[in-house]
Amino acid sequence: MKTTRRHVLLGSASALLAASSLGGAALGFTLDPAKDEASKALLARVVRVAFPHKNFPDAAYLRTAGVILTAAEGTPGQKLAFAATLHDLDQAGFADMDEAAALDHLKSIEDTPFFVLTRSTTVVTLYDDPEVWAVLGYEGPSFDKGGYINRGFNDLDWLPEPRIEEYEAAQ
Amino acid sequence: MNQIAKDEAAVVIIGSGAGGGTLAYELTAAGIPCVLLEAGAFIKNEDYHNNEWEAFRQMAWLDARTTSGSWRVAKDFPGLPAWIVKAVGGSTTHWSGATPRFKDYEFKAKSTYGDVAGATLLDWPITLDDLAPYYDRAEIAMGSTHRHGRPALPANNNYKVFANGAERVGYKQYATGPYATNAEPYDGRPASIQDGFNFQGDKNKSKWSTLVREIPRALETGLLDLRPDSHVVRITHGADGKADAVLYVDKDGNLHRQAAKVVCVAGNSIETPRLLLLSESNRFPTGLANGADHVGRHYMRHMTGSVYAQFDKPVHMFRGETMAGIIADEAANNPERGFVGGYYMETLSLGPSFLAAFIEPGAWGPEFAAMMDAYANTAGMWIVGEDMPQATNRVTLSDSVKDQWGLAAPNVHFDDHANDVAMRNYAYEKAQKLYEAVGAVSSHRTPPYPSTHNLGTCRMSEKPEDGVVDKWGRAHEVSNLFVSDGSVMTTGAAANPTLTIVALAIRQAEYLAGELKAGNL
Repeated sequence: MKTTRRHVLLGSASALLAASSLGGAALGFTLDPAKDEASKALLARVVRVAFPHKNFPDAAYLRTAGVILTAAEGTPGQKLAFAATLHDLDQAGFADMDEAAALDHLKSIEDTPFFVLTRSTTVVTLYDDPEVWAVLGYEGPSFDKGGYINRGFNDLDWLPEPRIEEYEAAQ
Repeated sequence: MNQIAKDEAAVVIIGSGAGGGTLAYELTAAGIPCVLLEAGAFIKNEDYHNNEWEAFRQMAWLDARTTSGSWRVAKDFPGLPAWIVKAVGGSTTHWSGATPRFKDYEFKAKSTYGDVAGATLLDWPITLDDLAPYYDRAEIAMGSTHRHGRPALPANNNYKVFANGAERVGYKQYATGPYATNAEPYDGRPASIQDGFNFQGDKNKSKWSTLVREIPRALETGLLDLRPDSHVVRITHGADGKADAVLYVDKDGNLHRQAAKVVCVAGNSIETPRLLLLSESNRFPTGLANGADHVGRHYMRHMTGSVYAQFDKPVHMFRGETMAGIIADEAANNPERGFVGGYYMETLSLGPSFLAAFIEPGAWGPEFAAMMDAYANTAGMWIVGEDMPQATNRVTLSDSVKDQWGLAAPNVHFDDHANDVAMRNYAYEKAQKLYEAVGAVSSHRTPPYPSTHNLGTCRMSEKPEDGVVDKWGRAHEVSNLFVSDGSVMTTGAAANPTLTIVALAIRQAEYLAGELKAGNL
């Protein structure tokens, strides 16, 4: 995990350096974060801090970050606001913050359009990811596998078998 | 399929769900040709997706709507007051399947509960005795388990937790039904394979819907003219004040006119009043059948809420029938609890993608993540009870937002009544105690989802000044206009409404067939 995050940091830093060496990012920010791996990695950390699941793979967080970046491509104004917040996060050293500081930082921006979009997109994307389902123990589409009738729909064994008939009928 | 000429004054039914689909079958079976106009597409069982959001995007009614009022849905889901279906078969294609009957006293809410401040309670113009034979016919049509010889569904994992908890807190009236999904083959449809996808449409056809039963059978009579993608936008009337045609928009935006001798509106309790309001004219300046100012008012959506409980052992609640578990011990009216009316507890399961969106809308952070991490060890239930009708809870036409056809979108205004709040808090407490009794390590009170039970906006009343329709669902003001869905409910009762909507539609069809054959319409 730590190694991965270091890669993210390095990627982010080098992408910014590359951008400024081209002269296009005197402001130090990326106008098209959807096409920028460093921005995606930074956003993926935002998602991981906001929705911390130690067993979720980085790939799932990156996929969600990609969907958020696409969702952020509204009007130029919306796109600009999103990119500016990402830039602010980068400037604030978000990637380097420990978990507690990063969480506090997100709390300070939770009412911003950036965070509202990130949160609302994450809840319908991160948890709709088959790799995440596997970690959570959700088995997903079942009709093509014959449902669960022969695959554990009633395999709970830590409680007694309950009555299924109505009370009156059971008398 | 039968084709009825557009200039032929026909029996026209608007909406093909529990009310409209049932009416279409019962009338065509009685030899009466019908035009059935459905706003949504003809989606077949094999087209459904075993994926929550894909299915939602495929089936849900997502036309522009707005919300207002203090209910939490207006904050969390401002453009989605209701979660209902836009497709042939209507919301019966995604309903879960619970079929309790209304209770005797629930038809006499005002007499039983007395005056409740702020509530517009009224007794129904019919009694349980009037409806009982039609409840029988509805249960037989729908194949309700535990009824008329239909066997019970087996206990799934979520039910095992639920029923054991019920037993331990002293409840007696728990069972896996009544539930309109086949436990064994019945009526030409197979037994449930417990695939866990109800809200997404049942690919296996084990669950009753008008899509699998009434509509195909109505088509087989050769008397039904079913027109999907036909969104009715106005009911017109002649100089005599009787409805004479409906105007509808097809999927390409073209307007059509179908002449009518009888119009039956079954668009669910938001679209039905919206259509009547959109049909205003010089003669009916506040909307068709709205002279007494009740169209759109007294909107009810049931007192609802959910509790999800986390255990230290696996549950796998998603495996199997979503709602095949009902506790009726709290369904009786017992004002000593601090509220009038009662509520049911029913098993409920969501997949991770819906649970994340609904368990605590707006939440994030480590506590939220911990609830999701416990997914496999989570059991869930829904609480559903009678809510108080209020004149100010209502569907109106938006003065700013338009739908895709340029017509005023419906606004749904809702404030919880104090009785609703008291009942919800009481039910949350009971649900959490139930799960604690079987070892829950934590549990969460989930707020109401967008409304699945939409009721009361064209209520039935004995007197014309008290409501919109009479005991047959016939508009007090327009003698050949009928309402055939849950809008007619005078009060909401505690039970899931679909069975009652079907029973009312069978009863209305019998009446309509008689009147038509007698030449009275």
